[in-house]
Amino acid sequence: MIENGFDETTSHSAKPQSEGQAAGYNRRDFLKTLGWGGTAVALSGCGNTSIENGKETVVSYVEPTDYQIPSIGVYYNSTCAQCDAGCNIMGRVREGRVLKLEGNPNSPVNRGKLCGLGQAGVQAHYNPDRVRQPLLKGEAITWDKALGLIAEKLNGVKGEEVAFLTGTMSGHVRALLGNYMDALGSKNHFVYEAVSPAVERAANKKMYGVSMPRYRIDKAKVVLSFGADFLGAWISPVNFSQQYAQFRKGSRPEGRGVLVQIEPKMSLTGANADRWIAARPGTEGMLALALINALGTAGLSIPTDVTAVVKDYTPERVSLDTGVSFEQINRLAKLLKERSPSLILAGGAAEGYAHGTQNAMAIALLNHVLGNVGKTVEAAAGVPFPQIAPIPGSRSALTALGNGLASGKYKVVFTYGANPVYSAPAVSKFSENFSKAGFKVAFAQYLDETALAADLVLPLDSAMEEWATEVPEYMAAPEGNVGYAQLSVRQPLMGRLYPDTRGAGDILLALLKQRKADEYKGFEDFYAYLQSAIMKNKAALGGADCADDKFWNDTLGSAILPLKGVAGSISAKPAIAGFALPAPVTADASYPLRLIPSISHSMRDGRNANEPWLQESPDPMTTIVWDSWVEIHPKTAAQLGIREGDIVEVTSKSGSIKSQAYLFPGIHPDAVSVPMGYGHQAMGRYAKGVGANVFAMLDPVYDKETGELAYHETSVKISKTGERIIIVKEEGPARGSQVGRKKIAVKVSADKVDLSKEV
Amino acid sequence: MGKDIREDIAWAQINNDVLKSLENPRKLYWVILFAAMLVFSVGVGCEIYQYNVGLGAANMDNPHMWGLYIATFIFWIGMSHSGTLLSAILHLMHADWRKPIYRFAEAMTTFSLMTAGLFVMVHLGRLWQFYYAVPYPSERWTWPNFQSPLLWDAMAIFTYLSSSVIFLYIGSIPDFAIARDNIHPGWRKKLYSILALGWEGTDRQWRNFRVTYLTVACFLIPLAVSVHSIVASDFAMSQQPGWHVTSFPPYFVAGALYSGCAAIITLFIILRYVFKFEEYMTLPILKKTVRLTFAIAMVWTYLNCIEFTATWYSHDQVAKDVLIQKATGPYAPFFWGMIFCGSVVPFAMMVKKWQTSIPVMFAVSLLLNVGMWLERWMIVAPTYSHGYYPWTWDHNQWPSLIQWGIVFGSFGWFTLLFMVFCKIVPSVSMYEVKEMVYHRSLAKKKEELGLEGGH
Amino acid sequence: MSVSNLLQNWSTFRHEHPINDKPHAEIKWAMTIDLDTCIGCNACSVACYAENNLPVVGKEKYAHGQSMHWIRIERYWGETEVKEEYDPNSNFDMVQQDFQADQGAQFLPMLCQQCEAAPCETVCPVGATNHTEDGLNSQIYNRCIGSRYCSANCPFKVRYFNWWNYPEQENAWPEPLPLQLNPDLTVRTKGVMEKCTFCKQRTYTARNNARSEGRPVHDGDVQTACQQSCPTNAISFGNLVDPEARVAKQWEQQQVDLAKEKQEKDEKADNKLRGYRILEELRPYPSIMYLERVRESAV
Ligand SMILES: Nc1nc2c(c(=O)[nH]1)N[C@H]1C(S)=C(S)[C@@H](COP(=O)(O)OP(=O)(O)OC[C@H]3O[C@@H](n4cnc5c(=O)[nH]c(N)nc54)[C@H](O)[C@@H]3O)O[C@H]1N2
Ligand SMILES: Nc1nc2c(c(=O)[nH]1)N[C@H]1C(S)=C(S)[C@@H](COP(=O)(O)OP(=O)(O)OC[C@H]3O[C@@H](n4cnc5c(=O)[nH]c(N)nc54)[C@H](O)[C@@H]3O)O[C@H]1N2
Ligand code: SF4
Ligand code: SF4
Ligand code: SF4
Ligand code: SF4
Ligand code: SF4
Repeated sequence: MIENGFDETTSHSAKPQSEGQAAGYNRRDFLKTLGWGGTAVALSGCGNTSIENGKETVVSYVEPTDYQIPSIGVYYNSTCAQCDAGCNIMGRVREGRVLKLEGNPNSPVNRGKLCGLGQAGVQAHYNPDRVRQPLLKGEAITWDKALGLIAEKLNGVKGEEVAFLTGTMSGHVRALLGNYMDALGSKNHFVYEAVSPAVERAANKKMYGVSMPRYRIDKAKVVLSFGADFLGAWISPVNFSQQYAQFRKGSRPEGRGVLVQIEPKMSLTGANADRWIAARPGTEGMLALALINALGTAGLSIPTDVTAVVKDYTPERVSLDTGVSFEQINRLAKLLKERSPSLILAGGAAEGYAHGTQNAMAIALLNHVLGNVGKTVEAAAGVPFPQIAPIPGSRSALTALGNGLASGKYKVVFTYGANPVYSAPAVSKFSENFSKAGFKVAFAQYLDETALAADLVLPLDSAMEEWATEVPEYMAAPEGNVGYAQLSVRQPLMGRLYPDTRGAGDILLALLKQRKADEYKGFEDFYAYLQSAIMKNKAALGGADCADDKFWNDTLGSAILPLKGVAGSISAKPAIAGFALPAPVTADASYPLRLIPSISHSMRDGRNANEPWLQESPDPMTTIVWDSWVEIHPKTAAQLGIREGDIVEVTSKSGSIKSQAYLFPGIHPDAVSVPMGYGHQAMGRYAKGVGANVFAMLDPVYDKETGELAYHETSVKISKTGERIIIVKEEGPARGSQVGRKKIAVKVSADKVDLSKEV
Repeated sequence: MGKDIREDIAWAQINNDVLKSLENPRKLYWVILFAAMLVFSVGVGCEIYQYNVGLGAANMDNPHMWGLYIATFIFWIGMSHSGTLLSAILHLMHADWRKPIYRFAEAMTTFSLMTAGLFVMVHLGRLWQFYYAVPYPSERWTWPNFQSPLLWDAMAIFTYLSSSVIFLYIGSIPDFAIARDNIHPGWRKKLYSILALGWEGTDRQWRNFRVTYLTVACFLIPLAVSVHSIVASDFAMSQQPGWHVTSFPPYFVAGALYSGCAAIITLFIILRYVFKFEEYMTLPILKKTVRLTFAIAMVWTYLNCIEFTATWYSHDQVAKDVLIQKATGPYAPFFWGMIFCGSVVPFAMMVKKWQTSIPVMFAVSLLLNVGMWLERWMIVAPTYSHGYYPWTWDHNQWPSLIQWGIVFGSFGWFTLLFMVFCKIVPSVSMYEVKEMVYHRSLAKKKEELGLEGGH
Repeated sequence: MSVSNLLQNWSTFRHEHPINDKPHAEIKWAMTIDLDTCIGCNACSVACYAENNLPVVGKEKYAHGQSMHWIRIERYWGETEVKEEYDPNSNFDMVQQDFQADQGAQFLPMLCQQCEAAPCETVCPVGATNHTEDGLNSQIYNRCIGSRYCSANCPFKVRYFNWWNYPEQENAWPEPLPLQLNPDLTVRTKGVMEKCTFCKQRTYTARNNARSEGRPVHDGDVQTACQQSCPTNAISFGNLVDPEARVAKQWEQQQVDLAKEKQEKDEKADNKLRGYRILEELRPYPSIMYLERVRESAV
C-alpha cells in the first residue's frame, strides 16, 4: 500500500539508522547526551555562517560524540503534535539538532507522509517567540518560585474551586493529569477544542454505536461527503489523503472512485471532487433523506421504519429547499445505487447548525440504507487502558468552564494546550470571566492571548524536546488488522534549546509531588514515570518474551506501540426514533448572508499561526498568504458592487470584522466565508496582527443535542468600507484561468482514458 | 534660413574660435557641469543603496526580471550609433557637412557606450563578480558560456568602445597638434604634445593619417551595425513572446541610428549655444541632419509596422497577446507615447520652416529621444508581464525610485563626461573645417572665374 | 591554456541536443506528477522549504512577487468554455463569472521542469546554469552573477532570484531558526538565482551510497523532499533509464518520449492516455510528465 517507502532510513528497532551506513548506537546514551546533557550540544549546531564566523563550536572528528557524526543525519521516531491526528514522524537529526520532520513509513496513520502543518513542527520548536522562563505577570522567576507559588495558591482551596482547561488529551500525560485532579479532589477537567468533531461523535454514537468509526475511503466506489473536508482539516487528513490516493486509482479492483462533495463553501476536498454541490446551508440532512427516497424509487429496498422517517422529504420538495436540482438528486441516487459500496461522510459544514446532530444522523442513515455500515464504516478498536485513552475535546466544555468562571467559582485555573481567550466568541465574554478566576496558570509555549491573561506562565518544552505518549482518537489500522490500536511515543529529538522549559508531564509530576510526595518520589522525572508505566505493562504491550532493555529500546526506536485493541462493534440498527429535521430558515433581511467560518488546512484553529512556513504557504483555494479574507460569490459581489481587494466589513449580531474581499466561485451565493486561525493579538511576530479573528463574531447558537457551538448559524451583512488594496496572493491576474493555453492543467472525463492499467 | 559656413573665414580664426572653447568656461558651463554632477551623484547614491541591500531595491520581481536598467542600457547603446554613422559613413560618402559636427558625435558614441556599460553592471545581481563573464584563462578551466547572447553583447560593446575611442583619437590628432601649438604653456600644452604624437603635418603623416582613418572608418561601420544586432539578439535569440522577433536586428539598428541622430540634434543645439559655435554649426548643417533623422524615423516606423503586422498575421497567439497587451494594457500610455514620439513627432521635421528653427528642433529632438527610450522599455518590460505561462502574469509592476534614480543619474554621468570632454578635446574638428572652407572657397573662386562645377 | 584546450573544454561543457547526444548512460532523473491525485495541499511546498533552506520572505515581499517557493501549487478553475477570443489585458477583476466550480478546481504543482534542452541554460553568460550528466538542469550559486537572463528565457517562470540578502540583512531566520537549516546545501545570499534542483543533495547521496556499495542506484533509493511528504503519492521520481523504475514505467505506459515534442497522445484523437508535458511544443524537452486530471461525467 505504501509506495516509495523510505525504508532504508526507518527505525524499526532501537538502532537509529544513519543516512549512510547503519550504525549501532545505544539509544540510552543518545538520550543522555541529548535529552539531559544536551543543551550545550543542541546550541552548538552550525548556523548558516557558523564556521566562517568561528563563533560557534564545530563538531569534532577527533573526539566524536556518539550520534553526532559530522555530516551524517540520523532519524529518530516520534509523534506529531501539530494537530490531534497523531501522525507518526521521524526527525532527521544532525550534529545534535533536528532539521526536518518526515512521516514514519511504518505508521498506519500517515504511512510515511506528513502534511505541511506537521512539517512546520520544527518551526514551533525553533520559534524565536517561545517562552523561555516561568513568568509571573510578565516577570521572569525561577521554577522553584513558580511551583511554590502554585502550592501557596492552592493552599486551602477546595477541589471544586480548581479547574483545569486542556485541549484533547491522551496517553500518560493525561493519566498523570487525572491523578493530579484526583489529588486535588477536583472533577473540573475541561477538555476544549475550538474546532472539534463533537457533533459527529454524538451522531455516530447514535447511528453506529461507536463515536469514531474507521472510514474506508480506500474501499469505497463512491464517496459522498456532506462537508467533511477529509483531505484538508478533518480528523486525520494525512490518513484520509493516503486512502484517497488508493480510492482514485483506476487499477484498483473497484476502479477509480467517484467523489461528490456537498458543502456551501468549497473546501480542499470539494476542490478535488468530481462534483461539487453547494446546497443551501443547513439543508444537508434533508438532502440525505431525499436521496433515501430517491433510492427507494430507484428500486433499493428501504426498511419500513426508515421509510416512515424520510417519506416527507421527497426529492421534489427537497430540491426546492436545498436548491439542488431534482435531476441532480436522482443522478446521485442512481450513482449510489449502481456503485456499491459507497461511503457517506458528514463533516463540519453539515454539523454546524442548531440541528447539526440531526443533520449528521440523517446523513449516517444513508450509509445504513446503502449497506455501507460494516463495509466502509468499520468499528475501530478501543484502547485497552482507559486511563490513557483520548479525552476528546469539545466546545461545550468551554461553555461549562465559562459559566463556572462567570459565577466566580474558581480560585485557581490551569490552562494547557488551549487558547480560549482567542477562540471563544466575543459574546461569551470568556476573557472577562477568565479574569474573575483567583489565580490563573498557563502552560504555554508562546505568550498567546490566554497566556497573557494568566498570572503565571509556565514555559513548555516543544514537541521536539518533551516526553509524552499519545493515543490517536481516530484509530487507523494496518490493512487486515481490524483490532489494531496503538500508543505513540513522543520523545526528545534533541536537547532543550532553553534550559528552563519543561514538558507538561514534568510539570504535572512536580505538582503531584507537592500533593503526594510519597507516591511519586520514586520518579526523578516524567521520563522515569513513563518508562516505569510502560514497563509495568510490558506483557500487555506485547513484550512478554522480550528483555526489558530490548523492549524499551524497541519502543523508543519505533515510537509506535501496537496495542491489542478492545474490539468494537458497530450496530446495524440506527436509533432514529423521533427524528426530525427543521425546515430551512428564511434569511433575516438585515443579516441576509450566512457566515461560513472555514478551517484552513494549515491554520486550523490558529494555534500554529506563529509558524512562518504556514503563513507563507498559500491557501490552496484562494492562494492568499499572510492575511485573512472574505470569500464572496462573484454574483453576490456584483450585486453589492464589491470588487476583489475591497476592504469589507462583515457584521453579525455579535460582532464584526474587516478584511479583504476575494471573489470566489466555490461558494453558495447566499454565504460568505472567512478563515479561522487569523487575527491574533499576541502569540509572536508571525501571528500577531495578521488578519482578522472570525471566532470573535460568532453568534451564540448551539447544537440542540450536544450543546456545541453551531458554527454556521451566524448571519451577517456585508458592507464596503471604501478602502481597497491589492491582495497578496500567489495567483496572478489570470486568476487560474488558462486563457488560450489549453495545455497547462488538463482535465479529461473518466470515460476518455483507460485508467485500469496505469502503473 | 541662417548662413552656411563662410568661405572667407580665416584659418587662424577657426583655431581661435575653437581653442577658445577649451579655455575660460562661461558661467553656463559651470552650471551645467554642477547640475550634471548632482544628477550623477543621485544615481551613485541609489546604486550604493542597491548594492548594499540587493536588487530588490529596484522593485523588480518574478517574473519582471529585467527592467529600466536593460531598457536604458539599450537606449545608450543606441545613442552611440550616431557618432559612427555621421563620422564613418558620411566620411566614406564624402559628405562635407559632417565635418563641424562629427567630433562631438563621436564623443557621444564613446560616452554613451561608457554609460551603457554602467547599466550592465548596475543590472547584475552580483556586480562584484562581473568578471566571471570575461573569458580569462583560469586554472579551473571555466569559461563563460560562448553560447549566450549576453556574452556576445559584452564582447561587441567592448570592441565597439575600444574601436570608437581609437577612431575618435586618430581623428583628433591634427587638432591636438594645433592645440599644442597655439595654447598657452602649462599642463595642457604638455598634454597636447603627448596626445599629438609628434604631428607635424608632413605629407607622409597626412597620407598615413588618411589611410588609417579610412581603414578604421571602414572597420567601424559593420561593427556598429553588428553591435546593435547583437543587442537585438539578447531578445531575438530568446524564446519569449514579443522578443523572439525575426526582424529585431534591423529594427534595433534603425532605432539606434534614430535615437543617435536625435541626440546629435540636441547636442548640436546645446554646443552651438554654449560655446558660441554659430559660425561652424550652421543652420544648413542642422537642416541636413534633420532631414537624415527624418529619413531614419520613417525606416524605423516602417520596421515597427513590419513587426506588428507580422505578429498580427502570424498564428503565434502568445506573441499576439503580448502585442495586444502592450497596446491596450497598463503599458498602453507608454506604448502609444512611443508611437507618438517616434512616428508622429518626426513629421514636424517635414515642415521646412521648422527644420532650421532652433527651439522647435530642440523640442522635437528631445521628444524623439523620449520616444526612443520608451521604445526600449516597451521591448523589455511587457514580455515579462504577459509571458507563456498565464499563472505568472503580473500587470502591476512598477520600477522603484531607486531604479528611476539610477536611470536619471546616468544622464548626469553622460553630461559630466561630455562637458569635461569639451574642455579637453576640441569639439569641432579644426583641420576638417579648414578643409571644408578651403573647398568652398575653391568652388567659389571657380564660380567667379566662370568655370564649370566645383568639388 | 591553449585554444585547443578551450575548444575541448567547450565541447564537453556544452552538450548537444538530447536526441543526438548520449549524456544519460546511467541515470536520467525524471518525475511524474499525477494531477488526478494531487489534492493541492501544499505539503510538498513546505517540505521544499524545509529541505532546501528557502527563506520566508514575508507579506510585503510576497506582494512584490519576490517569494521563493521552488514548487508552487497553481489552482485552476473550470471555464465555461475555453475561449479562443479573450481580452488578455483586462485586469481579470470580474472574469470569475466565467469560472465553473461544479467540478471542483484543479491543482498543478509547478517546479523546474529540468528541461533536457533547457532554454535557461543556453543564455546564461557564465554557464552558471548547466546540464549534468544525470539529466538535471543544475544551478551553481557561486558562479551566478545575477544577470537573470535564464529566468527571462524560462517559459515556466520557475527560477527564483534572491532580490534581497535574506539570511543576513532581511533576518529571514531569526535566532534560533537557523538551527533548522539543512547543512547539506547552502543558504543563498543576494544576487543569486535559484530553483528546484530535484533535491540534488539527496540524489547525490544516493549515488554515492550506491557507488560505495558497488551497485547501481535502485528505484526508491532516493526520494525528493516534495515526493516524500506528498500525502497522496502524486509525485513519483526516479531514473528514467532504469526500466524497473516507477517513473520509467509510467513514461513508457503513457508513451511519452523524452526526445519528442509531440507525443502519441496528441497525434491520435481517441487515445486513452493522459500523460503530457507542459509547453512541450516549445521544445525544451521537460523531464516532468503530468497526468491529466480525471473527472467523472456520470454525476
Ligand atoms: N530570432 C531569430 N531571428 C532571425 C532568424 C532566426 O533564426 N532567429 N533567422 C533570420 C532569417 S534566416 C530569416 S529568413 C528571417 C525570417 O523572418 P520572418 O519571415 O519574420 O520569419 P518567421 O518568424 O519564420 O515567420 C514570421 C511569422 O509568420 C507566421 N506565419 C507562418 N505561416 C504563415 C502564413 O501562412 N500566413 C501568415 N500571415 N503568417 C504565417 C509565423 O507564425 C511567424 O510568426 O529571420 C531572420 N532573423
Ligand atoms: N521549421 C522551420 N525550418 C526552417 C525555417 C523556419 O522558419 N521553420 N526557416 C528556414 C530559413 S528562412 C533558413 S535561412 C534556414 C536556416 O538554416 P541553416 O542555414 O541551417 O541555419 P543555421 O541554423 O543558422 O545554421 C548554420 C550553421 O552554420 C554555422 N556557421 C556559422 N557561421 C559560419 C561560417 O562562417 N562558416 C561556416 N562554414 N559555418 C558557419 C553555424 O554554426 C550553424 O551550424 O532554416 C530554414 N528552416
Ligand atoms: S495531520 Fe496533524 S498529526 Fe498528522 S502530520 Fe498533519 S499536523 Fe501532524
Ligand atoms: S523549467 Fe525553466 S529553469 Fe527549469 S530547466 Fe526548464 S527552462 Fe530551465
Ligand atoms: S542569473 Fe545567474 S544563472 Fe541566470 S543567467 Fe544570470 S548568471 Fe546565469
Ligand atoms: S524536487 Fe526537491 S528541490 Fe525540487 S521542488 Fe521538490 S523538494 Fe524542492
Ligand atoms: S503534496 Fe502532493 S497532493 Fe499536496 S500539493 Fe503537493 S503534489 Fe499535490
